[in-house]
Amino acid sequence: MHATVRSVIEVASERHEDFCILDTEASPEHLSRGTAQYADAMLLVVEPYFKSLETGRRMAGLAKDLGLERVALIANKMRGESDLEAVREFAEKHGLEVGGIIPYDDLMPAAERAGSSPLDFAPEGPAVTAIQQIARGLVDGSIAGNGAVKA
Amino acid sequence: MKLAVAGKGGSGKTSFSGTVSRLLARDGRRVIAIDGDSNPNLVVTLGIAPERMQDMPTLPSDLLRRTEDGIELSKTLEEICTSHSLEGPDGVTLLVMAHPQHAGTG
Repeated sequence: MHATVRSVIEVASERHEDFCILDTEASPEHLSRGTAQYADAMLLVVEPYFKSLETGRRMAGLAKDLGLERVALIANKMRGESDLEAVREFAEKHGLEVGGIIPYDDLMPAAERAGSSPLDFAPEGPAVTAIQQIARGLVDGSIAGNGAVKA
Repeated sequence: MKLAVAGKGGSGKTSFSGTVSRLLARDGRRVIAIDGDSNPNLVVTLGIAPERMQDMPTLPSDLLRRTEDGIELSKTLEEICTSHSLEGPDGVTLLVMAHPQHAGTG
């Protein structure tokens, strides 16, 4: 499956306004198989605790080995100022971009339990609102962009 | 823009991928979402009924062919999407890569 996914992403539209979004496997190993090789950017979803951030950092390293220069952390399930500080400090220490902050939101696990999409279950919820902001940042190139790309 | 979303299991990457895909599509972007996991769950966070995956044929084994330059697809992405994708809410195209028997669980 990995080779097929890789080839599909290779031929997907290069246009900035078209999106091809690959939800990868949870293990870092898939990255070494090059599944994401032809992506323009990688978003690493992390939680504000050490093991999760450390996995993010390892994945960022593997992404850069693949030649992916545009890598950003998406800090998820954030519960306040101390979480924010922890993520920012970690990112700064390892030279990683924090591309987005998603607050902890009870509605997300509730959507999952209901077998529903977050967007249908809690369209106005804090997490969905934060993801909306990230979507805008991806379009205008301010997140994981190269500075030159504009829609 | 081609985006790979990664992260530790349980980090919320699939909820993020599905939601951001739909929001971009709602904004008028053409969005193809790919579930690269062998236990596919993206279908649910996109708001597509997982039963719809049951009728989906598995990807043919001859989809990749070796060439002098490496490996390439034997079909265009449009052809693959015609037979192996589902259209979800907001017009997102979900490309189904893995066997669907575990969809909606885990």
